[in-house]
Amino acid sequence: MKPGSVICLLALPLLAGCQTPVIRHAPEYSNDLVAEGKRIIAQAPAKDKNLWRLRVALLALKQNRHAEARALFNAAMPSAGAILKGDSSTRKAQSLFSPESSKGFHGEPFERTMGWFYQGVLYWMNGEPDNARACFRTAQLMDAVAEKNEFRADWILLDYLDGMVSAKLGDDGSSAFNRAQAHAGDTALPEYNTTDNVMVFLQFGFGPVKKSGGDVGEKIIYDGGFSAAQSARIRVGTQAVTAPIFDDLTYQAATRGGRAMDAILARKAGVKKVGDTLGDIATVPGIILTDSENTRDVGLALLGVGLAGKAVGGSVEPRADTRTWNNLPQYLSFASLKLPAGRHEAVIEFLDAAGNVLPNQQKHVTLNVQPNRDTVVFVADQ
Amino acid sequence: MKYTITTFIAACLLGTMACMNINSPNGPSVTEMRADERGFVAGLGIESQDLVTIAEKMARGILGAEQIANAQGKPNIVLEPIVNKTRFPISKDIFLTRIRVALTSQAKNKMNFLSRDRIDALEKERDLKLAGEVTGGEKIKANQFKGADFILTGTFEGISGRGQSGASDYVLYTFQLLDPNTSDILWEGFHEIKKQGKDDVTYR
Repeated sequence: MKPGSVICLLALPLLAGCQTPVIRHAPEYSNDLVAEGKRIIAQAPAKDKNLWRLRVALLALKQNRHAEARALFNAAMPSAGAILKGDSSTRKAQSLFSPESSKGFHGEPFERTMGWFYQGVLYWMNGEPDNARACFRTAQLMDAVAEKNEFRADWILLDYLDGMVSAKLGDDGSSAFNRAQAHAGDTALPEYNTTDNVMVFLQFGFGPVKKSGGDVGEKIIYDGGFSAAQSARIRVGTQAVTAPIFDDLTYQAATRGGRAMDAILARKAGVKKVGDTLGDIATVPGIILTDSENTRDVGLALLGVGLAGKAVGGSVEPRADTRTWNNLPQYLSFASLKLPAGRHEAVIEFLDAAGNVLPNQQKHVTLNVQPNRDTVVFVADQ
Repeated sequence: MKYTITTFIAACLLGTMACMNINSPNGPSVTEMRADERGFVAGLGIESQDLVTIAEKMARGILGAEQIANAQGKPNIVLEPIVNKTRFPISKDIFLTRIRVALTSQAKNKMNFLSRDRIDALEKERDLKLAGEVTGGEKIKANQFKGADFILTGTFEGISGRGQSGASDYVLYTFQLLDPNTSDILWEGFHEIKKQGKDDVTYR
């Protein structure tokens, strides 16, 4: 090789080393979490968009950005009468070699219920109590697929609100109230006062989170949620109303029972376990048997079976879908008041199990009570 | 021979196009349909084909009602919002609007509809005229807002079920023509629809 070529070759790495690195500017984030959420929705894969829409919709609702919340809920959730059809993503979710999370996100029943519950709150805020009731009824129906009869359609607040709207619209709300009271057990629910015109929806704490269970992650199990607040007190002028807990989301999530999809995941898990077991049993003896010429053929065959088993076992994806609508609360609560038309300042205190006010969690809400319609507010402690 | 092959390929292409179902999700991305057709995204809820069928049926029923058929002059009708007791949030005005449109087109000026849903705007305009802030106040001699001869309203009720085996929804649509002077129900029509379906196994 000529000396010139050698010098050139040596110089090339040096030049490459001197190359200015590509500077990637950190993305600019704003303090507007809803706007940032919308950016994430735009960037999310199609199968996860609904999940992000739900998370951001709830964020928008908490920030009283009702129009945005409504638009996001509408985009995230199929219509009340929709049948969730199969498509290429659901076929992929059922296939041996793709996880369940390949399918488009529509959530587990407790998440679907919460979506319809929030839609109902938004309809009521918009002055459409009968459409709100429709949403509460659809929300309750989402829970009707629970495996055990006693856990089906057992959300207390949904029946309570169904009856309350019915009573306010001049219908009989007693059967819905009785259903709610039956599910509430020993907790005495407040009687309806049809002249109440301020509805306060409250939620406390952090809701349940899904995680993988079973031998190979083929089951969904729940990490329970948490809330320091166990009730809330609403003070407006001289009035004070205590709002008890109506529903516990961890309970609702955990009592759903088996899913039809679980059978598919169990089959996948079975294939994975058989593959892995075959791999474990056949590979090592196969290697040993290939050592001797007399047993080499048998050894190679065993090794082949073992490696094939390992390959199949390693490729099968039995994992359950653990994507979670993770900004849901642990508890739902509600209270209603009667206030004259005009502007009122309300103070909402969150109380622990002993009835003590939790420090630094007070919320101040301005109520603009209008004549001839309900004023609906939504308050979260987190 | 050359023409035979060309003709064969052309026939195959035409055949393939003819076999494409417009209701198939794998078909064209956007398909214009009649409002009374059931599309491939149909569900258990209240849908456009229900709206059209019910509105046409109710309009025929109302026109056949004795009080409307034998009315002297043009009766004034007010549409009152529908009461929704189903589990489906709906735009309530759309049903009555569709019935009004069907009645207007079928009745050919035999009835008059009063715009009570715009009463605030109408009152505001009248008050501006009476105050002389806009022209036309001199033409108003007294309260000229008409009273209703009939009130048309409706109620939607439903029975819904859902379980591991699927979901079903029954909706009963009832419409009444009321006499506001006597509260008599002069005419009543109904339509009922039951639908059932099942989510894909991955969502059950």
